[in-house]
Amino acid sequence: MPNSKGYRKGTRSKFSRAFREHGPLGLSTYLRTFRMGDYVDIKVNSSIHKGMPHHFYHGRTGKVFDVTPRALGVIVNKRVRNRIIPKRIHVRIEHVQKSKCRDDFLERLHKTSFLKNQAHKLKVELKEAEENKNNEKIEEIKKQQEEMKKSFRALKRLPQQPKSGFLVEVDKTAETPIQTLKPLKFIPHF
Amino acid sequence: MKFIKITKTKAYFSRFQTKFRRRREGKTDYYARKRLILQDKNKYDTPKYRFVVRFSNRKITCQIISSRINGDLVFCAAYSTELPKYGIKLGLTNYAAAYATGLLCARRVLVKLGMDKMFEGVKEPNGEEYHPEELENRRPFKCILDVGLARTTTGAKIFGAMKGACDGGLNIPHSTKRFPGYKEDNYDPQVHRSYIFGQNVADYMTYLQENDEAKYQRQFSRYIKEGIKAEDLEEIYTKAHAAIRADPVHKPKEKDPNLKPKSYKKQRLTLEQRKQRVLDKIEEARKKYQENQDNDDDDNDDDDDNDDDDDN
Repeated sequence: MPNSKGYRKGTRSKFSRAFREHGPLGLSTYLRTFRMGDYVDIKVNSSIHKGMPHHFYHGRTGKVFDVTPRALGVIVNKRVRNRIIPKRIHVRIEHVQKSKCRDDFLERLHKTSFLKNQAHKLKVELKEAEENKNNEKIEEIKKQQEEMKKSFRALKRLPQQPKSGFLVEVDKTAETPIQTLKPLKFIPHF
Repeated sequence: MKFIKITKTKAYFSRFQTKFRRRREGKTDYYARKRLILQDKNKYDTPKYRFVVRFSNRKITCQIISSRINGDLVFCAAYSTELPKYGIKLGLTNYAAAYATGLLCARRVLVKLGMDKMFEGVKEPNGEEYHPEELENRRPFKCILDVGLARTTTGAKIFGAMKGACDGGLNIPHSTKRFPGYKEDNYDPQVHRSYIFGQNVADYMTYLQENDEAKYQRQFSRYIKEGIKAEDLEEIYTKAHAAIRADPVHKPKEKDPNLKPKSYKKQRLTLEQRKQRVLDKIEEARKKYQENQDNDDDDNDDDDDNDDDDDN
């Protein structure tokens, strides 16, 4: 007997409400605002029957391309055989949450752009100081620049590096501070 | 002891899902609240204001509130306890007071927004249906009525507050169906007007004066003390409306910086205090025992032997 093709097939646990989280939604879901270009996670809320996306999209993240009175238009990628289609679906707000996928990136972006700004300002000040031949100021600025350079090195994200070397402490007071283990001689018992 | 089957077992409690806190307290109707708060998403952050009217046993609260995730923001508020300032000293929960509070709230909001000259509303209330008109470059301040858990019957005081706000210049979408004076598809603004000026109270006053003097004395004792008669009511309210329109701005009370708020916290005893309390109790018990013994001594002398078995 083949698999049934019902719209909500296979959603017994996916669409079930969490333990002790049944019933009406808290109102913060309804108070959130979304803008076009925002990234959103689609998480179906099966107590709201309207505007429910197909269960394929549960757990997907997409970009908002449309905002209507009660729903959002989201572009989600779907792989169909040999290609990926950017699907456009309309989902009610209750089934959508703001995605944090961009947060880390944006934070880093703001930090680096802020520092870049600072560096640029210093550069401009340095130029000014050199024109005015203000030696004290030049030294001050150069010091600040050195400080900045140190922090710049830490800006780049590095993958996990191999562990650095460390010293193993040996209890010198013990009878055998370092025990050398050797394999036992193989005695064939057959 | 009768055998009682425990229905609220440990399993019951561990599986129990509580309703929202304000639902448990019986204060919020979430079905209504969701629909009042929900703003079209394509209006983004535009606030949706509700004109909230709540009645307590002794006062009326009118507030203009918008909702945020962190909590609702009260943009402007008016309480019927402020009405004495405008000349309404008594009857702070009646229809006329509701109207006045609504009016006060509306005027306050408009002054706050600098729109009070543009939207005068209805200066002399006549109970007729009124919706403020749009101006060329400004639309009236729109809010929706939030009734809470009140029953929306015809002639209810909540609608009095709403009428006060509308006549004050706010745009609260409504129809006349629930105003006093609406009867069998006909709306009689005169009846509504009489309520706005407290004539329902005045009529009752005169009725009691004629029929049941004793009850009149009891029911309207404070009115009598203030010297307010049934005929005076209309004037009181008219003057109050004018006073409200003249100066609706709220003046916060001067706070005495040295005055600490009264703490209702139950003070816990220290260890010494607790120990002392125990000793005091023992002392008291001992005294009482002694008294009883002395009384027994007076009654029967045979019981002298029992005195040896003392406490300690």
